[in-house]
Amino acid sequence: MVTNPMHQFEVYKIGPEINLGGINLSFTNASLFMVISAMLVISILFFGTKKKSLIPSKIQLITEMSYTFVAKMINDTAGSSAKPFFPFIFSLFTFVLFCNMVGMLPYSFTVTSHIIVTFVLASIVFISVTILGFAKHGFRYLELFVPKGVPIVLLPLIIIIEIISYLSRPISLSVRLFANMMAGHTMLKVFGGFVISLGLLGGWLPLGFSVALTGLEILVAFLQAYVFAILTCIYLNDALNLHH
Amino acid sequence: MKDLKEISTRLEIVKKKIKKNTKNDDGSNAASLGKALKISTELVASVVVGSAIGFLLDNWFGTKPILIILFFFMGVAAGILNVFRAAKKMNKKL
Repeated sequence: MVTNPMHQFEVYKIGPEINLGGINLSFTNASLFMVISAMLVISILFFGTKKKSLIPSKIQLITEMSYTFVAKMINDTAGSSAKPFFPFIFSLFTFVLFCNMVGMLPYSFTVTSHIIVTFVLASIVFISVTILGFAKHGFRYLELFVPKGVPIVLLPLIIIIEIISYLSRPISLSVRLFANMMAGHTMLKVFGGFVISLGLLGGWLPLGFSVALTGLEILVAFLQAYVFAILTCIYLNDALNLHH
Repeated sequence: MKDLKEISTRLEIVKKKIKKNTKNDDGSNAASLGKALKISTELVASVVVGSAIGFLLDNWFGTKPILIILFFFMGVAAGILNVFRAAKKMNKKL
């Protein structure tokens, strides 16, 4: 058996093909694992908040810790005026985290290793933050592109650079998550393939690497979800408070 | 309520232990790794966006190689600006 390291990223449909007005809406393995991740989040939060005891059980502890973690993150980076956006950032963070973590299980599929998924998530953040900025400040939101104390001669150039820098936000947000997840999983598969091909004699070294890489990947999976959420908070802060 | 009292004394002991352990460890390894990953893509993304804008405008106005070159360099400038800002933000926190 030849092990292709990119084979794990293949999307195939489960069940019948659904076509709606020329758009393929079939249920795929990617959708299946998104549903699994979302269901895991919901069930953990449901069982964690079901029995509210003074001395928390483990699952209640996890729920409360994740709440305080995200609440503190929002407070530190975006200030107290971003409190109403807690549900948005919390669901974004937990969804990305669980997609990454479910992808670490053997035989599973990593949803966040596809750029279209991460790009849609980043676009939702980008578009909603832009709308929020215009709704809150009106056309004064465009002042974001005009830094203070710039000579008028340089202004056209600076404005173009600022606009490019603003438009690069969803790209950098999505590419970061996608590239990290895909590179990590490919590397794991390549080392796994080495174990098979080197056999009993030489396979122990790549096996050790595989174990170490799995640990690293779990760290990266958490870190990327954290970075995704914290950058959303920073962009929110820009839209709400409007100054550099 | 005897149960609660016992737990509170146990909590105190554990808290003291955690305090002792965190004194030597700065505990910011994961956070700084996140920042490093953040900066690396920041630079690339702006260059990509700048070049894409230049390409589109070139197709639109029919000025094939000029605008894409111009916007490529603007993208580089925007990327450096982004990295500079991210680094400045880190400096402020320290």
